[in-house]
Amino acid sequence: SHRLSHLFSEHERYLQANNKEFNSIFVYPNNTIKTSKYSVFNFLPLNLFEQFQRLANAYFLILLFLQLIPQISSLTWYTTMTPLMVVLSITAVKDAIDDLVKADIQRLFSYRMKEDKWMNVQVGDIIKLENNQPVTEKPEITDAELLYLHFSAGEVRCEAPNNKLDRFSGILTYKGKNYFLDHDKLLLRGCIIRNTDWCYGLVIYTGPDTKLMQNSGKSTFKRTQIDHLMNVLVLWIFLGLGIICFVLAVGHGIWQNKKGYHFQIFLPWEKYVSSSAVSAILIFWSYFIILNTMVPISLYVSVEIIRLGNSLYINWDRKMFYAPRNTPAQARTTTLNEELGQVKYVFSDKTGTLTQNIMIFNKCSINGKLYGMHVFLLDDKNETPKEKVDFSYNKLADPKFSFYDKTLVEAVKKGDHWVHLFFRSLSLCHTVMSEEKVEGMLVYQAQSPDEGALVTAARNFGFVFRSRTSETVILVEMGKTRVYQLLTILDFNNVRKRMSVIVRTPEDRIMLFCKGADTIICELLHPSCSSLCDVTMEHLDVSDYASEGLRTLMVAYRELDEAFFQDWSKRHNEACLSLENRESRLSSIYEEVEKDLMLLGVTAIEDKLQDGVPETIIILNKAKIRLWVLTGDKQETAVNIAYSCNLFEDEMDEVFIVEGRDDETIRKELRNKMKPESLLDSDPINIYLTTKPKRPFEIPEEVANGNYGLIINGYSLAYALEGNLELELLRTACMCKGVICCRMTPLQKAQVVELMKRYKKVVTLAIGDGANDVSMIKAAHIGVGISGQEGVQAMLNSDFAFSQFQYLQRLLLVHGRWSYNRMCKFLSYFFYKNFTFTLVHFWYAFFNGFSAQIVLKTTYWTMISHVIIWGSLGFYFCMSFLLYSDGLCLAFPDVFQFLGKALPSGNALNQPQMLLSIILSVVLCMLPVIGYQFLKPLFWPISVDKVKCRRLPRQSPVRTKLKHSSTRRSAYAFSHKHGFGALITSGQTMKMPPLPSELPEHINSSSLLFVVFHFLHYYYH
Amino acid sequence: MEETPQHCLSRLPDNSALKQQELPAHRLYFTARRVLFVFFTTGIFCLCMGIILILSARSTQEIEINYTRICANCAKLRENASNFDKECTCSIPFYLSVKMMGNVYMYYKLYGFYQNLYRYVRSRSNRQLVGKDVKAVEDCAPFKMSENKTPIVPCGAIANSMFNDTIILSHNINSSVQIKVPMLKSGLTWWTDKYVKFQNPSSKNLADEFRGTTKPPNWPKPIYDLDKKDPRNNGFLNDDFIVWMRAAAFPTFKKLYGRLNRTHHFIEGLPAGNYSFNITYNFPVTRFQGEKSVVLSTLTWCGGNSLFLGLAYTVTGAITWLASFAMMAIHIILKNKQMSFFHQ
Repeated sequence: SHRLSHLFSEHERYLQANNKEFNSIFVYPNNTIKTSKYSVFNFLPLNLFEQFQRLANAYFLILLFLQLIPQISSLTWYTTMTPLMVVLSITAVKDAIDDLVKADIQRLFSYRMKEDKWMNVQVGDIIKLENNQPVTEKPEITDAELLYLHFSAGEVRCEAPNNKLDRFSGILTYKGKNYFLDHDKLLLRGCIIRNTDWCYGLVIYTGPDTKLMQNSGKSTFKRTQIDHLMNVLVLWIFLGLGIICFVLAVGHGIWQNKKGYHFQIFLPWEKYVSSSAVSAILIFWSYFIILNTMVPISLYVSVEIIRLGNSLYINWDRKMFYAPRNTPAQARTTTLNEELGQVKYVFSDKTGTLTQNIMIFNKCSINGKLYGMHVFLLDDKNETPKEKVDFSYNKLADPKFSFYDKTLVEAVKKGDHWVHLFFRSLSLCHTVMSEEKVEGMLVYQAQSPDEGALVTAARNFGFVFRSRTSETVILVEMGKTRVYQLLTILDFNNVRKRMSVIVRTPEDRIMLFCKGADTIICELLHPSCSSLCDVTMEHLDVSDYASEGLRTLMVAYRELDEAFFQDWSKRHNEACLSLENRESRLSSIYEEVEKDLMLLGVTAIEDKLQDGVPETIIILNKAKIRLWVLTGDKQETAVNIAYSCNLFEDEMDEVFIVEGRDDETIRKELRNKMKPESLLDSDPINIYLTTKPKRPFEIPEEVANGNYGLIINGYSLAYALEGNLELELLRTACMCKGVICCRMTPLQKAQVVELMKRYKKVVTLAIGDGANDVSMIKAAHIGVGISGQEGVQAMLNSDFAFSQFQYLQRLLLVHGRWSYNRMCKFLSYFFYKNFTFTLVHFWYAFFNGFSAQIVLKTTYWTMISHVIIWGSLGFYFCMSFLLYSDGLCLAFPDVFQFLGKALPSGNALNQPQMLLSIILSVVLCMLPVIGYQFLKPLFWPISVDKVKCRRLPRQSPVRTKLKHSSTRRSAYAFSHKHGFGALITSGQTMKMPPLPSELPEHINSSSLLFVVFHFLHYYYH
Repeated sequence: MEETPQHCLSRLPDNSALKQQELPAHRLYFTARRVLFVFFTTGIFCLCMGIILILSARSTQEIEINYTRICANCAKLRENASNFDKECTCSIPFYLSVKMMGNVYMYYKLYGFYQNLYRYVRSRSNRQLVGKDVKAVEDCAPFKMSENKTPIVPCGAIANSMFNDTIILSHNINSSVQIKVPMLKSGLTWWTDKYVKFQNPSSKNLADEFRGTTKPPNWPKPIYDLDKKDPRNNGFLNDDFIVWMRAAAFPTFKKLYGRLNRTHHFIEGLPAGNYSFNITYNFPVTRFQGEKSVVLSTLTWCGGNSLFLGLAYTVTGAITWLASFAMMAIHIILKNKQMSFFHQ
């Protein structure tokens, strides 16, 4: 009964650790994920079945059977058999190769562990995950969702598999005690283990049940609009074919009645033809066979081959090759090329896609003095290479860190009190963990890259954060080791937008160091700092801190009175222990001490954009391609990046922020923002919503009365994506120049893309680099994966992959456009060719008594001539393609001339009438085309033609000057969760030295917990 | 980020013009000067060509005499198949007012005879016709075998329906003296037909080779008796037979019947004067509303006296000229407009 209940629906998951027999009752899936479609045995039947689902192929199969009937067979069997076989075999080979490639990737995907071993991981197993696998130099990617347990007998009851990444609840029963399990204790498939050598876990979900797979969205077969067009065309052609055959059959009936009946002295009717009507019915089918060339059987396969060529061109493009990582662009799906030229909306991830996910300490202002500024002035004019500051005085410096302003180092060396205090505060006020495997080689594990950048900067200037315990922080200040006592960490959260630490210095002073968003800190400053504050704020404004997407943090300190601190500490402890309103009590306690701060300065960290991102976005904008940023990041960060990469501009009329907490507010916000008149009943969307017609609705293209941007966060989006609101959302968003959706779950990203696909008949493209972008990449018409640092997940699910966002420009505007043009030309020519060939027979029918006689003979010699003529033309083109250089032609000047001397003693070609007719046809065909091409730019000039008319000298390309906004935006861009403060002070975060024994009991569970934070952080980009 | 050193670019695509899509390409620029030049020259060429063709077509002479109605009594007779053994002749006098210079060709022309019907065209045996296997009649339905199950030679509907009128052209020098105009019955076929596609079985005596076969039902005599005088014109190699076997593409067609043997009196061609066709009327056409006529014609370098090609060229040339003037006008008008637009 257990098994049955599981088969129908799983409400709750129940498992016992290390009890295979018990767990097998529930038939949990095993850990394999299969992506390939065929196996050796089912390939032929399955592939043929799929191929014959195509209308044209099925038609040719029917034709084959029709031709077996001698009464109506009007062509030899091989005339239709050959093309069908060729088409089927080419397609089959292509499908097989595609599938093999997929299977390869699957192997690549699961290489981390021995494949057979990994497949066999089952729910309830306890497995050990190691950080440094000898096979791969990178940290281990764990492929199962694990629950940390340091015992081997326990029972877990938890929720059924679902796609919610930030939620998990379960109960662990161990030795009669119940432990609550939340999502912090769950390791997700696809995560990277950091900061621990190994850990043990219990497998909870496997294979398709894992949250990653549950979130990965449905993998659908992507078809292009050209495919749809072709299907429609083929249908129309069938209809046309039916009509033509019918007309001809009727004609035949009449002819048989009038002429054929009397012509029987020379050609008696067959016995089975009793009347002209019977004959007409047979002729219908005969013409059905003869006119087969109208149905484009080779269309699909020719299209596929052209697409394959176009994707090869993408693979071969040197302009999309990224040298630093040795990665060329990769067209992973060969079927979507021409769709690239049609893209209207681009959905982009932020971190790792627009930005490099590298934070760089760029500038700072300390005690009213600005450092790191002149570098940017130099940058504009001088070509002299910027000189890096020499950090050789500091043995613990990070060699990768670079800074260009010497004055700051000089200030440090001179021993400037404020500068020292500034860096001291940076090296104390954080929640970074340090790891020192080799003496002097410090590795920082930071919750957010910002913090890492700040601590690294302090490290290089001589204030090295070396290690920490739960109660101390050990610094190496200008070579001298000093131990600070860590008294309290006042942790970061979204509302406070700041964090502080209270330490006891070796000189026995109690100091509070605080860093946070400038707007917040300014209000907390001591009145005596106001002038300094003004100067610093001015620095922020003048020096364009924010305009380059710099994330700014204000740093301040306060010296505390011993008595005051003791008093405060007591109250703080009380608040910590309280069960009710703990949060609010704590924050009010925090506020008591975080006041009257003394300003130290401001730091600016550059969230480095990828090369060429702003330029690309400008160009995409010019091409009327809209960019939406869908990110898991915080709103401030996302907005900052949006400004720095020119998605938003300061000239924008308004940037709307939708922050509703329920249906009604969001509706009002969405509607009032842009079009107040949309509340009227005459509005098309209102009409649609009230009438609810069956047919799919398409949102009309509307133009906003200004230049707007829209920001919406995941929480509001959850409401906005429901029911009628989604139309409002889409409509408002489509009128905006740029849209940012922040704090989104992977599935929400996909939902937004789906929304666009459903109501707007436009081609969408999704671009991203992380596992959280996979669903979006799959949902969009075209998915592009950035092969970056965040693993291969996005790339594996994408249709195109390259390593820089800027290549999108070339992909869309060059490859996409060319592919589309080529495809259109090909299709036009293909149908033209087929129709000319076929309609000749229609015309000829009127002269041969509608007897299904064909114009051209299909005999041996006709075929030979075709092969020779087209073959030699093809050969000529191949030669000129491969040896386009004129070397070969010069060497053998008469190689390609044989075409001109056609058959000296031929029967037809040496008759002047024949040649004159050919010349006349050429003239009649060519002249109208030339005339049309000549007149077209005169009557309907497009911009290119205008340029041509004026014959301007070619201008050297003007570099787009990026305009930076002058308004200041601040970002305290830690991750969305609380900081680590609680963990650090609880004394549990400290990493133990590697344990000699591998007994599960000895694992420090909290260090594993620490790992979990990392996962969530990395997952959320 | 791990930086890969510059020298380790193993996956860098080749820098070949093909792979980088930099093959030399030429795009035509349709400047007014070039286009108009092309149009004018093409127009001139077409006009000249047209005039030449028309003139040369005019220089040929052609006489066509439709004898379906003139020999109405014979036609009537032939409508009844049972009269097949009754001979019927018919003489058609005509006057040639201008002499026909050069080579003169005689054709028979059929109207409404569908040699292009699907079943008709296929009803022949090529294996039989090349003389390999005279009894190969598989493809010849509905004329494969005679009633007593002997294979028909030559089999098939095409062969069975062979044109079998005899046409003799006589020159009436005066009311009493009539000379037969000498006609050659050779060189009427395509070379490939006579020497590749049609061959007699290799034997001295044709009749022996065709033993065990029967003649087509419509034929008065077997294949090996077509021309008893000239063995090179007998059997499958008979020129009339070969000409007939090359099925016409349209229901109205003419086939070469003979060419003037330019000797004696006719060394320059056919002199003006009274002539007559003496026709032995065997071939029935009225049953299916067909007609037949006999044609005398001379040829020039561009074929017979069909004006079609010449007219097509002339019309094309004229239209091209008109089009080029129109385009010139459009170009001048619009260009001025555009210039003023750019100067603003």
